[in-house]
Amino acid sequence: MIEYCVLALLRDGERYGFELVRTLSEVPGMVTSEGTLYPLLSRLRRAGVVETSWRESPSGPPRRYYRLTSSGRAVLEAFSGEWASFRNAVDHFLEQEKTA
Amino acid sequence: MNAATLHPLARDYLKRLKKAARRLPRARRNELIGEIESHLTEALPAGASGAEALNVLERLGGPEQIVAEAESEAKETPRPGMRESLAVILLLFGGFLFLVGWFVGLHLLWSSRFWTMRDKLVGALLVPGGLLPAVVLDGAGVQTCGRGRKGAPPECTPYISPTLRAVMIAGLIVLIVLPVISAVYLSWRSRRSRIALS
Repeated sequence: MIEYCVLALLRDGERYGFELVRTLSEVPGMVTSEGTLYPLLSRLRRAGVVETSWRESPSGPPRRYYRLTSSGRAVLEAFSGEWASFRNAVDHFLEQEKTA
Repeated sequence: MNAATLHPLARDYLKRLKKAARRLPRARRNELIGEIESHLTEALPAGASGAEALNVLERLGGPEQIVAEAESEAKETPRPGMRESLAVILLLFGGFLFLVGWFVGLHLLWSSRFWTMRDKLVGALLVPGGLLPAVVLDGAGVQTCGRGRKGAPPECTPYISPTLRAVMIAGLIVLIVLPVISAVYLSWRSRRSRIALS
């Protein structure tokens, strides 16, 4: 699931690795160890859903920026639709439990 | 990068990471170490305290854990293989292998995780039997036309009206073009990069 959160974070523009990792780990229950997100980012890059480029940083060494490819955008859109119907289906049963 | 300005605890951590990462392929290893090194540089400002450094390292997780994750990521890079190529070929030409070939192709198509349900329906329905129906139609219609006698117009047995002939030729073209388009579509869809659900 975290893959799709990464893609969603990149929807509005590129971000560098540390920024992505910190944003994800700030959400409770999302990530157990920040370091394991880097192999995941590498996998997304190899799968062709994100691409990277180096940019100068205002402070310190250059940063590796990640951004969505068109295929990544398509994967994200497809997932958003599937996720919405899945969530509705689960909600349907959870709400039933509550009222029963 | 400037490892020299890193916090001593972070430097020690990187050393342990490099040791643990030896078992990764070189490109993968360099990428991982580079990313963790910039993480440490970003997370630890110059002159960070020992407590701050320990905090950052704890959030990062142990080197062994990260390398284990990188290893498992390396194993699961799903790529379409022989089965997918065979499925496309058999769906197109398998009909000529006593029709059984087409069903084998259908099974391969259905059991593969590189195609969505829509792709599978396209593959199965356009056209059942692959190119076989085109050949059958060709045999049924076009070949029954015989040669005319002594300058008379060609005789066809049984007689097929020009309209029916035109319809049959159009049908023939559709039956050739559709399976080919479907095969091209399937191989394109299988090669489309995708990520496996975790």
